[in-house]
Amino acid sequence: MATQSILGLYENAEYAAEASESLENAGFSKEEFDFLTDTPYPEGALGERHHSHRLYVFPFIGALLGLSTALLLTIGTQISYPLITGGKPILSIPPMVIISYEGTMLGAILFTIIGIIFESRLGPNLKNRLYDPRISEGLIGLIVDCNESKIATAEQVMTQAGAIEIKRK
Amino acid sequence: MTSYKDKIQISVAGEELSASIVTNDIANNFFAHRRSGRMALFLFGLIFLAGIVAFITKAMDGFDSSQRANWGYFAALFAFLLSAAGSAPLVAVGFRMTANHWRRPFARISEIYAVVGLLTIVCLMPLLALLPPIGDCSSGPCRKTLWFTSEYWGVPTFWDFAGLLALVVCGIALLLVSALPDIAQISALSESKSRPLLSKLTKFWTGTQSQWHIHRISLSLLGGFYFILLIGVQTIINVDYVMSLVPGWKDSILPAHQALTGIQAGVASVVIVAFIARTFGGYKKYFPMESFWSISKILLALSLLWAYFWFAEVNTLWYGRMPVEQNILKLVMFESYRLPFALNFSMNFLLPFFILLWNPIRKSVIGPTVASILIVVGSFFMMVRLYVPAFGIQDVTAFQITYVPAAIYPDFLDLIMIAGGISGAVFIYLLSTRIIPILSLWEVKEGLLYQRVRPFLRGEYQVLGKPK
Repeated sequence: MATQSILGLYENAEYAAEASESLENAGFSKEEFDFLTDTPYPEGALGERHHSHRLYVFPFIGALLGLSTALLLTIGTQISYPLITGGKPILSIPPMVIISYEGTMLGAILFTIIGIIFESRLGPNLKNRLYDPRISEGLIGLIVDCNESKIATAEQVMTQAGAIEIKRK
Repeated sequence: MTSYKDKIQISVAGEELSASIVTNDIANNFFAHRRSGRMALFLFGLIFLAGIVAFITKAMDGFDSSQRANWGYFAALFAFLLSAAGSAPLVAVGFRMTANHWRRPFARISEIYAVVGLLTIVCLMPLLALLPPIGDCSSGPCRKTLWFTSEYWGVPTFWDFAGLLALVVCGIALLLVSALPDIAQISALSESKSRPLLSKLTKFWTGTQSQWHIHRISLSLLGGFYFILLIGVQTIINVDYVMSLVPGWKDSILPAHQALTGIQAGVASVVIVAFIARTFGGYKKYFPMESFWSISKILLALSLLWAYFWFAEVNTLWYGRMPVEQNILKLVMFESYRLPFALNFSMNFLLPFFILLWNPIRKSVIGPTVASILIVVGSFFMMVRLYVPAFGIQDVTAFQITYVPAAIYPDFLDLIMIAGGISGAVFIYLLSTRIIPILSLWEVKEGLLYQRVRPFLRGEYQVLGKPK
């Protein structure tokens, strides 16, 4: 069955939080609804689901790749041109430090940017979601994505919880 | 029993605010495009253009490492832009990590400075060509550098460039991530000509809780990386373009001192723009005196810290008692460049310290602003007294300098280049405020969730929440 979306608008964050409780009581799972806000609320304040992500993995991989490239460059150079300078060992760590540091940071930053685009779902192939410009002025949006058969129930629950307007796609 | 209602205010003396008021205020101001703003953009653009012409004219007289002495003031300009503008985003990064509320109006002002990084990259490119070769110590004359050897590919020019590039990319990413929700929100409300473009760029941002969650973590990650990189890049630039060009100069405090001066100038630069936005930009209610008061304490601490670093730096060379160390002290502080040093010392320490020492002055908008202007000007003179003499030394492979080189004075083209470079930074900053609001909309509105004014006994007091 096709999935449909409806958006309820609330003037008060308390009503929006109550609406999420009512939706759960009516058999909706937390994965079926989300809140749209103009500012970050403390995590869990609205009763939303816990959002798992893998953003921390991206800089870690980037840093490892950057470090490996830098080490490859410096160690490779030393091995290819084994000149003993000032009696120091061929593979001397101090000259590698800055290049390794820069390579690590560059890799970490680039991969973090990729991770942010990926994890924020900012890619161009994502569907346009329901939105109302009044959310920018402080209204709280409660968006429900569910089967067509449950839409009427969702609308009823959201209205009872104090939604000032319901929008459908 | 008396009844009362909490008021949503960001200061006791301020107006009552709501998300709707804040959004409409900032959106209206953002799309207003005042005539004075257009005039300023034109004026600074013109001076910037004059600076570019001066640069080209000077470059036609010769541009290689043997003519380094002619480019000392250009190097000082680059170092000043890197220090002041490059460090300014730390205000948003550092104070956001401490979760205080007074930093909210300063946050975006500081982040926008990241775009000035584009100008510093452009300025660095010719300087890379002016850097003398390191040489091979086993077969001929060479100079001591941070890189130990010139065997590695790209040492030092590519890696100097890569470090700065990483810093600028990180800063601009930080700015864009932070500004994305704001651009999305105000473009949804406006009917301006730029709306279609802004909406298209931000249509994927709807403000879901998962997006805000990632947004919060992204700012922490990018902020952390920016901080780590900034100190490293300042150190590398200082060593490559100052110390390694002056034979015999060995000082582990100087690079840290330049990084600290950068942080001091960065905070000061943010205060200056905040003052302008408050006084001329129509944002008075968002910049309460309390915010200036709080940041003035940081400025005071940084001025003291500047003096401590300077004292440690002088002591190291003074008690070293070697002729080369005495020569270096005479060169950059007490003889050849004593005027820039006197200005630097008074403007980065003496004057701000004595201004900000007094609580009634600190507890004002104008006091911290005056101190900030002094600090920014003083930081420029610090770069002059370090970079100009370093670029003036010809025999960079000598064991040590055995004399005190004379001061190099700026010529007319140098002065135009300096004015042009600083105007270029202002021009780029102003241009950025055309697509990014100067006040962090989401952050100010987030502050409204946690700040209330309520009565207590006979007075009204601000109550702050910390959602951790």
